[in-house]
Amino acid sequence: MTEPRNDLSLMRVPSGIAGLDRVLSGGFLRGGVYIVQGVPGAGKTILANQMCFNHVARGGRAVYVTLLAESHARMLQHLGAMSFYDEGAIPDRLYYVSAFKMLEDDGLKGLLDMLRREIRGQRASLVVLDGLVAAEETAPSDREFKKFIHEVQMHAAMNDCTTLLLTSGGTGRVSPEHTMVDGLIELDDRVVDVRTERSLLVRKFRGSASLRGRHAFRITGNGLVVFPRIEAAFATPSRPDHATHERVASGVDGLDEVLDGGFFRASTTVLFGPTGTGKTTAGLQFLASAREDDPGLLFGFYETPDRLRVKAESLGIDLAGLEARGAVDIVWQAQGENLLDELGYRLLDAVERRGARRLFVDGLGAIVESTADPQRMSRFVAALSNELRVRGVTTLYTLESSTILGPALEVPIRGISSLAECLIALRHVEVEATTRRVLSILKVRNSGFDPALREFEITGRGMRLVGPFRGYERILSGYAHSPDRDGHSPAVPPSPQRPSRRE
Amino acid sequence: MKTILLVEDEFGIAGALSVLLEDEGYRVFTAANGRDALDRLGEVTPDLVVTDFMMPLMDGAALGRTLRSDPARRHIPILMMSAVSESALRDRFDGYDGFLRKPFPIPQFFDAIHAILKDGPS
Repeated sequence: MTEPRNDLSLMRVPSGIAGLDRVLSGGFLRGGVYIVQGVPGAGKTILANQMCFNHVARGGRAVYVTLLAESHARMLQHLGAMSFYDEGAIPDRLYYVSAFKMLEDDGLKGLLDMLRREIRGQRASLVVLDGLVAAEETAPSDREFKKFIHEVQMHAAMNDCTTLLLTSGGTGRVSPEHTMVDGLIELDDRVVDVRTERSLLVRKFRGSASLRGRHAFRITGNGLVVFPRIEAAFATPSRPDHATHERVASGVDGLDEVLDGGFFRASTTVLFGPTGTGKTTAGLQFLASAREDDPGLLFGFYETPDRLRVKAESLGIDLAGLEARGAVDIVWQAQGENLLDELGYRLLDAVERRGARRLFVDGLGAIVESTADPQRMSRFVAALSNELRVRGVTTLYTLESSTILGPALEVPIRGISSLAECLIALRHVEVEATTRRVLSILKVRNSGFDPALREFEITGRGMRLVGPFRGYERILSGYAHSPDRDGHSPAVPPSPQRPSRRE
Repeated sequence: MKTILLVEDEFGIAGALSVLLEDEGYRVFTAANGRDALDRLGEVTPDLVVTDFMMPLMDGAALGRTLRSDPARRHIPILMMSAVSESALRDRFDGYDGFLRKPFPIPQFFDAIHAILKDGPS
């Protein structure tokens, strides 16, 4: 049966660029004309060349036409280092020509004639015109330039030849031709404090949905890699949610009893507190119960895999053995200059690749640090957590608070409570000139829990809850106060054997 | 003074090479593509055609084949230039006298020209 001509899925021309086709709901529309605009160095030429090579690799034919751009030889030299570059495609399937002389000699008409002849002569299904600004400058009037764009559209449509027009210019610039073309993609390379961050924005995409807003991208040895914004890409999780009453053991001695049975499967728990309270230790214990058929993933930023293995060993956890058996995988990255969405996809890809069911993210603070837009964090974490839930992943995040002792626990993510089913705070408490540790369950959604503050210790066997913290009040202020200071000694449980300061 | 027809679609390269050749003592005519070059060949018979491979309307290989099939012009030596490998060119045309892979250093350009025009510009 012949498919109908108006089925847009058949009319797509994928860019073949990781992430971009997802932003474009499958790719450009065949025979459409699109402006790709960006500041110099934003990545327009690489994007267009990458699409050409990907297009010809799929059996298409492409022509790359330059006006005032770098020489073809230099361009190809630069592209030669990219994995998509295939010299064998040139000139039979991908052809490079310069049209500047024709533009100079014969104006827009000469350029249009050349485009028309090259589209037909090369039987091109994709054309790139690199340097549209030169054509614009040659146009005797705005009207003539719009007529030129209109005629390019006619030839592109009649020949089913998708056309990219590359032009320089800052983001947000609006030109008359923008109203005419089928789509407008802006590439930006903005400075954020001392770093730069590339992003892509689809301002207009006629005839199809696209993921709105800015999407970060990198230029790598594989060309552009676009990371569709997690909140946009997973605004609706990828599959249906199946909530369950099933519990997953926390791995921390005594904690499951306090939680009325452990963490809910496919839920999100945030363990927050200052440095030295045992967050990473608790996470390692959570992963220690992972099995080959219920695998775990450690997605970390702070301690390297080697140091984590040593740390786990000191807690009696054979992390290296778990890894060797395929029960646990470690994905570690330095804090460095990560992109927020890149981290999100790296995490989701690792979960998918390993089929991870237990996820320990150490920690959320590093993810917060990686973003140039901190105000995105709650939406980002919400979308990511929703996606992890529908994939059946039980997630434990650590989140470090900046104050070590004191009445306030500062949380660097707005609305953290609404993002997680379970919130657990770990605190240092000063008692009689000694620092002790206390755990408090702040929230467990849809479940009872023991609200008593629990003292815990960290020994050579890991974190262990030792019992309610009795005899003191204002414990969560960080400075425990005995109501019976002037009288008898308070009924404080004897301090557990001073734990070794493993953390 | 020897005459060179320089066929190159890239405006900047054509300009730079023609100036260098003129400084060296050659008389230079330029064309932006193969078709343009054939028009030029109606006006002048050069001692050498230096041509790019990939160009609009008519490429360097088609120009070369046309020259070699024309008894009046088949003797004109051809120096091919291309950003792609020589093997890609050979598949389409192999009747040239020299090949330069772009980008190339200027001395290599003159070496190739002098190798074909053995007694230099004069």
